[in-house]
Amino acid sequence: MLPSSLSRIKKYPVVYFLFKLFLFAALIFVLDFGIGRLLRHFYFTQKSGFQYLTTYSMEQTEARLLVFGSSRANHHYIPDTLEKYSHSSCYNVGRNGASVFYHLAVLKSILKRYTPNAIILDFTRIELEERASSYERLAALLPYYKDHPEIRSIIQLRGKYEKIKLLSEIYPYNSDIFSIIVGNMKFNKKRKEDFKGYVPLKATMDSLGKGSLKEEKEAGLDSLKVNAYREFILLCKKSNIKLTVVCSPYAYKAEGSGISLLTGQKIAKENGIEFLNYSEDPRFINKYSLFTDRNHLNYKGAEIFSPIIGVQLSKD
Amino acid sequence: MAFVPMYILILGFTIVIDYFAGIYIEKSEGKRRKLFLIFSLIANIGVLAVFKYYNFINDNLTFLLQEFGMQNPVPYLSILLPIGLSFHTFQAMSYTIEVYRGHQAAERNFGIYSLYVMFYPQLVAGPIERPQNLLYQFRKNFDFDYERVVDGLKLMLWGLFKKIVIADRLAIYVDSVYNNPYQHHGLTFALATFFFAFQIYCDFSGYSDIAIGAARVMGFKLMTNFNRPYFARNISEFWKRWHISLSTWFKDYLYISMGGNKVSIPRWYFNLFIVFLVSGLWHGANWTFIIWGALNGFYLVFAIITRKFRDKMNKLSGIEKIPWLNHTFQILTAFVLTCFAWIFFRANNVNDAFHIVKEITKFNGPVFYDSISVMSFTVLCVIMLLFVEIKMEYYKGKFSFFNNRNVVVRYMSYATLIIILLLMGVFDGGQFIYFQF
Repeated sequence: MLPSSLSRIKKYPVVYFLFKLFLFAALIFVLDFGIGRLLRHFYFTQKSGFQYLTTYSMEQTEARLLVFGSSRANHHYIPDTLEKYSHSSCYNVGRNGASVFYHLAVLKSILKRYTPNAIILDFTRIELEERASSYERLAALLPYYKDHPEIRSIIQLRGKYEKIKLLSEIYPYNSDIFSIIVGNMKFNKKRKEDFKGYVPLKATMDSLGKGSLKEEKEAGLDSLKVNAYREFILLCKKSNIKLTVVCSPYAYKAEGSGISLLTGQKIAKENGIEFLNYSEDPRFINKYSLFTDRNHLNYKGAEIFSPIIGVQLSKD
Repeated sequence: MAFVPMYILILGFTIVIDYFAGIYIEKSEGKRRKLFLIFSLIANIGVLAVFKYYNFINDNLTFLLQEFGMQNPVPYLSILLPIGLSFHTFQAMSYTIEVYRGHQAAERNFGIYSLYVMFYPQLVAGPIERPQNLLYQFRKNFDFDYERVVDGLKLMLWGLFKKIVIADRLAIYVDSVYNNPYQHHGLTFALATFFFAFQIYCDFSGYSDIAIGAARVMGFKLMTNFNRPYFARNISEFWKRWHISLSTWFKDYLYISMGGNKVSIPRWYFNLFIVFLVSGLWHGANWTFIIWGALNGFYLVFAIITRKFRDKMNKLSGIEKIPWLNHTFQILTAFVLTCFAWIFFRANNVNDAFHIVKEITKFNGPVFYDSISVMSFTVLCVIMLLFVEIKMEYYKGKFSFFNNRNVVVRYMSYATLIIILLLMGVFDGGQFIYFQF
């Protein structure tokens, strides 16, 4: 714009303000687009770390046996061991902090590419309880919103303004910048070494103190989670996938009524799905040397637990 | 804390009472004048007492009676605290008191009076305005002023940044530690308390900036509520820089009414202590807030009592000869004392608070952190804030990003703030801490 036209506009403060606002909005749009695209590029070029594992799970794995679940799935099931028993390839798609919504989204993405033969779904004691964090942690799926229309309705559970927020190219990578940088560095592969998705935990509960993690207070059932769990089961049934739901070991006995676990078992039974409950298995309960904290087996515990599941799988 | 549409009626009730009280106070003479003021104060404090303190008092009564083996016959009320009630009540009370003191003419226009107590930018968390500063502005006509609108928007952007990027980010660490006090060690509590000091500052001053900025966009000028409080050299100065609208409210309407410092020395100490005790109670119906208030009162009284001794010690140590060191030492001392008091403000209950204090004194590890990435963001937030605050405190006018004469620098600084907001902001619906008061 010519300086003379600008000085003419200046005489009309509202027009001048709107003109400047437009220029500023254009600048933000360009920056958001450019930085967002750059982040997107580096997000998908990661070669290690939990974000890479999600991308691999959703877009690359072709394993015949998949393990779904939260951090407990990720640290409890050793694919190499399960492969020996099931005589088929195995990959652990479990992710820290993931809820049944995340499991359902990943399953939907995988089913668009291929159909695995069998799935183990690790079910936590609080799997179907109301937790705000379950919705917040769906943020892990934001980078996949654009390319995976099948999971959009799940991501939108985060809040009613999610669609608007996702107009920004940067927003899907909110709070991810450090992980993206580290995930692209070679040293991270050693630091965050995984074995077909499985990440072993080395610490033992004794060295961290027995009460290192407090049992979360029991909350009521979340109907959306119950529906997502049902949908997960139905999708497996519809695709002829052999589903086994497992509640893997805990270090302590449950303190609440166990409403989530009971509901999970009931729904599995209604659908003819096997539900294996090891949450208070005497081989693990109060055996602190097998745990990193009250919710997670360490690698020694996982090495004992995985063959137990392997034997169960080979029975069928 | 809640927004229940029915609770608008509570606002309506006090608005009607205070509106008429103002007019009758102005019309009346002598005892009648005082009677109308007392009536208005009772109505306001009464509403606050019922909604904010009834169950707290009842709780304590139950505890006390149980100690004597008796049952408490007084029923509990199933009520929620209307959002921003404490702020609204104090602003309404300042109106009738100022009319009574003859500093403000009673407002005859009911609409304008209602606007004064319900002005939306500052209704829920202040600044608590005085009628002399706000009422007359509602009668003014405002033309569109480019500079003013832009200034207001800049302030809103900075407030949003403080809230979403800094306060809510720090809250993640602080909440995970303070909500699980029996799972952590001393150093973790020290770090969480340090973070909380910045969290609450950015949360509350961020809200104030948004409120003041929004009002400025519309043409209204609200009072400054924060003036970089962590650069205060003592607790007295801290309270001149922190939540200024509340501090001055207590000074004008409680401290001075009790005689201020124009009384005997013991009474002066008593006045100071009581003002802070009440300030603690104003913040919440919980013993943690009362202890927090009492601690601040104690700090002030102790500072006055030991002033001569401390001056002597300063001279003897020779620290006065190195001003920058003396200055830094004073700032750090005030900050540590403030942080210690914040422990009681943030802890979920008194037992937790004392447990945290006990653990902090052990000064042991390990330091808890969820992930390097989360911790890096948190530390980065504190560094960013300190950079801006130090610049504003000590290098004011030397170099400015937001008000730079170069249009490119100016625009890029706004844009950078928005980009950081998108990159690092916490968008999962964190509430403003002061909404609960």
